[in-house]
Amino acid sequence: MAEFQPRILAFCCNWCSYAGADLAGVSRLQMPPNVHIIRVMCSGNVKPEYVIKSLVEGIDGVLVLGCHIGDCHYISGNHRTLKRFALLEKLLEDVGVDKRRLRIDWVSASEGEKFQKVVSEFVDQVRALGPNQLGRGAA
Amino acid sequence: MREAAAKACRTLLEKGDVDAVLGLEMVGDIPTPKVFVSGDDFSKFEVEPVFPIVTLLRNIWPFTGNERVALVVRGCHELAVKELVKREIIDGRRVRMVGLACSPEQAAICRCLRPYPATVDVGSRAEGVQDDVARKIRSMTREERLAFWEEQFKKCNKCYGCSENCPVCFCEECALEDCMFVKTEGIPPSKSFHMIRAFHVADKCIECGECERSCPVAIPLRSLQRMLAEDMKELFGFQAGHDERPSPLVATLDEAPVKGVSE
Repeated sequence: MAEFQPRILAFCCNWCSYAGADLAGVSRLQMPPNVHIIRVMCSGNVKPEYVIKSLVEGIDGVLVLGCHIGDCHYISGNHRTLKRFALLEKLLEDVGVDKRRLRIDWVSASEGEKFQKVVSEFVDQVRALGPNQLGRGAA
Repeated sequence: MREAAAKACRTLLEKGDVDAVLGLEMVGDIPTPKVFVSGDDFSKFEVEPVFPIVTLLRNIWPFTGNERVALVVRGCHELAVKELVKREIIDGRRVRMVGLACSPEQAAICRCLRPYPATVDVGSRAEGVQDDVARKIRSMTREERLAFWEEQFKKCNKCYGCSENCPVCFCEECALEDCMFVKTEGIPPSKSFHMIRAFHVADKCIECGECERSCPVAIPLRSLQRMLAEDMKELFGFQAGHDERPSPLVATLDEAPVKGVSE
């Protein structure tokens, strides 16, 4: 049987992480192809609803990347992200979803290598967790 | 209890402390909400059963002018009023609360930790009751928990009772009415429905249990909120209704740090 290939969504903020992803690509760093990047203006723009919806609809893991704390283009957008997702992790555990399917991290525009590292680690982690049971049966 | 509450409300009206009393009146054998004004008959004034009176107050609030309103509040109602005042949905200076302590039987039905308001005018304080359903769910393994909730969420017939009757569910633009998150057609709704609802009220839920009481298929929504309230307390040390602070979810990290989260 072929190895399980997780499907992963990465929400990247326009100002840091998306540029970081771009740098990783331009630098030709090798990364697993399981990640679908969605560009958002700020990590604070990622509603927890989006994460819940994607997990319910069959995505195996969600990665939220933003600017480092203190570097947010909108001053404190990522403060809110961090707090909201701390609570979201708890909610996921409360309904029986492994919180390791959700990861929040900070990648700046100059950290192409960190982007590669975070993505590779996360894909390996979710692959080890197996398919997302909450989203089974969904498309 | 009924007579004492009616008397307290009537006295407030007669003294001119308030202009109206929002309460229940027996019409036939059905308790019906009514706005009592001076001179009204209080003989059919009713305080049972537990009624989402604060939701009603919130809904009629935009239509009030400068009237001062009195209402009979239980422990949960009082917290709901405090939370709404804090969020400037209603004006606390125009609300007068008559405290009613719940009976031990009611506290057991509600699995309520605090079945009495801060000032008790009617009745006597009963002991708080631990939520053993929430505790049972927490003690399950992750797979059992997921199976349990999936089974529960499958029962949902999308009546929106849980959000309509919730005293603190008041957004103009509701995520549950957004076809992005909840499809218009189809029953049961997606499993995300109750997760989104629970998350949305997590920082303001005062655990009145109105969601569970209005649920026609008895999904233990109150226990889901209980678990989230415990999480809020653990993460931010925040208790909705009790805390004077604004929600930590809209504050910065300097104002409300998150425990155990490293950069």
